[in-house]
Amino acid sequence: MPPKISKKATAAAPVKTLVLDNGAYTLKAGLVAPSGTPSYDDCRVLPNCIARSVRDKCMYTSSELYQCKDFGELAFRRPVEKGFIVNWEAEKAIWEHELLSETAGEGLRCDPKDTNLLLMEKPNCPKELQKNCDEIVFEQFEFSAYYRCVGPTLNAYHPSIPSSLSSLPRECLLIIDTSYSDTTILPIYSGQLIQSAVRRLTVGGKLLTNYLKELASLRHYNMMEETYLLNEIKEAVSFVAPSTQQFSKDLERTWKGRLGDKRTVDSSIVLDYVLPDYEGAIHGYARPHDPLQSRVRRGIQPLQGPREDVLPLGNERFAVPELIFRPTDIGIQEKGLPDAIMDSLSVLPEALKLTMLSNIVVVGGNSLIVGFVERLESELRSLVPTEYLLNVSRADDPIKHSWLGAARFASQPDLMKQVLVQKAEYDERGSTWLAKRFSGGDK
Amino acid sequence: MPHVEVLPNSASVSAPGWTYVVDNGYDPSKVAINPKDRKRAAARPGGARGENELSARQQTAIARRIAELERDNDPKQSIPVPGKGSVPKTQNARRIIQYQRQIKHWLDDEIAQLQQAPPPLPRSAIRAANQQLRKASTLTGVPPMSSEVTPGPLSSGLATPALPLRAEPTSEIDSLLSIERSMPPPLKSAELASLLSAPPLSYVASHVAPPAVGGPPQRQFCDNCGYWGKIKCLKCGARICGLECKDAHEATRCLKWA
Repeated sequence: MPPKISKKATAAAPVKTLVLDNGAYTLKAGLVAPSGTPSYDDCRVLPNCIARSVRDKCMYTSSELYQCKDFGELAFRRPVEKGFIVNWEAEKAIWEHELLSETAGEGLRCDPKDTNLLLMEKPNCPKELQKNCDEIVFEQFEFSAYYRCVGPTLNAYHPSIPSSLSSLPRECLLIIDTSYSDTTILPIYSGQLIQSAVRRLTVGGKLLTNYLKELASLRHYNMMEETYLLNEIKEAVSFVAPSTQQFSKDLERTWKGRLGDKRTVDSSIVLDYVLPDYEGAIHGYARPHDPLQSRVRRGIQPLQGPREDVLPLGNERFAVPELIFRPTDIGIQEKGLPDAIMDSLSVLPEALKLTMLSNIVVVGGNSLIVGFVERLESELRSLVPTEYLLNVSRADDPIKHSWLGAARFASQPDLMKQVLVQKAEYDERGSTWLAKRFSGGDK
Repeated sequence: MPHVEVLPNSASVSAPGWTYVVDNGYDPSKVAINPKDRKRAAARPGGARGENELSARQQTAIARRIAELERDNDPKQSIPVPGKGSVPKTQNARRIIQYQRQIKHWLDDEIAQLQQAPPPLPRSAIRAANQQLRKASTLTGVPPMSSEVTPGPLSSGLATPALPLRAEPTSEIDSLLSIERSMPPPLKSAELASLLSAPPLSYVASHVAPPAVGGPPQRQFCDNCGYWGKIKCLKCGARICGLECKDAHEATRCLKWA
C-alpha cells in the first residue's frame, strides 16, 4: 500500500510544517521544524486581503499594504468571509504572493511539494467549503501532507507550566476567541473540541469597525469609504466600560444636554481624533477634547498654518465595544458574551463545567480593547455560583496565541504523524474520505 | 325502520350570533377590514403594538442594518486579482477557483441540505453507546476506577485543578465542612465519550440563543447622538433623546418616508 511507504519516507526527512492560521483579517503564518521550540517571533502576521485605492488605482496584495502611504478610500477584497475561505481566486493569489513566490517574506517561502501544511479553520465550517479547501490544497498547491482542524483547539498544547516538556494537551480549557469575523466559545477537553457546546456570537471586530464607521458618518463626516481609518481609530480609542452602572455614568458624562439645558461634556472621556491628511501624516492620533477648538472648526479654518480635521469621539468610545456584552443594543437578538458562555457550558456535565470555568483563556484581537477581560470576568462572576473558582486570563499575544499553540503541536513529530494525510493517500481515496477523516469519523 | 341521526359537524354547531375564536394576537390580514382608529391607536402609549414592539418597517430596517454591519465584501466594488498567478492545475481546482459565490450562498446551501436529509446518527456515537452498554454489563457492582473517571493525562493536571474524584468518605469531619457537598457528581466516562464524539453543529445552529424572555429589557438609545432614547418618534417609532436630536432625526433618518 503506498501510504505506508510514503509515511516512512517523510518520517526520515526533516520536513518543515507550514502552520497557517487563515483569519479573515490577517494570516498568521510560520514554518515550524520538527522538534523545534517555536515562539511568537516565528509567526508573521499578514493582511489577508487585496486592496485597491480608488484615488490612484494602486493595488496592494497582502503585505504590500505595509508600504501603503495613502489609506484614503481604500477598498478591500477579503477572500475569507465569516471566518471561512470562500473566494479561492483571491486566496490563491495571496498565498502565492506571501508563501510560495519570490515575493514571500523572509523565512516564509516554501516549496509545497516538500512541506506539510497545518491549516487552522473556524468551527462549524460548511462541509462544501471544507471540501473545496482540501481539494485546492492537494490538487492546486500539492502540499506533501496536510492536516486541517479547528484552530483555537490547538491552544490546549500550550504547556500549563512554562518549563514543562509534556506533549500532552491541557485537560480542560475554555477558549473565548473574539476575532474579526465573530466571537466563538470553544470548550476543549484534552485537546478535543466539544462540538455540541460551541457557541458563536455575531459580534466581532468587523462589526464593531463598521458600527463605528456608521456612527461617525451619521454624526460628523461621511466616512463610509474609510474602513481602514475607522479600524485604526477603533483600536486607538475604544474601551469597555467596567460595568453596566459605569456605562450609564459614562453615557451621562458624554451627553451634550438638551436645548436650553446645555452641559459641558467631560473631557476626560471625550477625545478629539486628529484625522490624517495622507500628505504629511499617514496615521492620526487622539488628544483630549478641546471645546474651543471644535467651535473654531465649525467656522472657516485659517488659511495659514496647519489645517486639521478633528473627529470628536464621545460615547462612541465605549458604546461600540459594549455590543460584545449587549448585542441587543443595536437589535441583534443574541445573548451577551457572559450569558453565551454560560449557555455553552450548560450543555456540559457539572464537573466539567466547574473545571472549564477555572481555565478560561481569551484570544483574538478584540481582547486587546482596554477593559475587555476585566468586564468579562466581573460579569461572569455574577453568573457563576460563589463556591466555583473562576479564572479568566488573556493570552500574552492574543492575536498569535492560537498560532503558537498550533506551532507547538506541529513541532512534535509523533503528534503530527497521527493526523497528517499524505498526498498519495488523498490521490488514492479522494476528498470525501479526507473530509470524514478530518472530522474524526474514520481513523 | 332506518334510524336517522344528525351527526355533529362544524355546520351543525354554529351558535346563534357569536362564537369562540382563538385569539392569536396581531393579525395583519384583519387590519385592513377595520381600519378606523388606526392612527389614534398608534399614537396612544402602548398603542396598537406593545411599548417595545417594533413595526414591520422597523424590523426590516434593523435586519438590513445588521446585515450591512456584518458584511465582509462590498458587492458593488469588484477588485480584480493583480497579476496572472499560476494556472489551475486540475479541472476541479479551476472550478473551485472560478466560484463567484459569497458566504451567504454557501450557508443557504447548507440549510437546504440539512432540511432535505436530517443527518444520520454518526457511527462513533453508536459505538460509544454500545461501549457504554458493554461496560455496564461487565462492570456491574464495580465502582469506576479513578483512571476511568478522569481519562485526562495526569502530568498536565498540575496547574489545572484536577477533576473532582470520588472523595473517600470521612466520618470524623463534620458533614458541613466536607467539600463533598459543594462538589458536583464525578464525570461519567460514557457521558464524556458521547460529548466528545458528537458531530459539529451546523453554522446556523451554533449561534447564541436570543436573550431570556424574563431578562432585563432591551436598552434604547437615541438614534442620533447615542444617549438614552427616552422619547419615541411619533412618525416612525425610533428613539430620540430630545428636541435637538428629533430635528436631526427627522431630517436624515426618519423612516416615515423610507
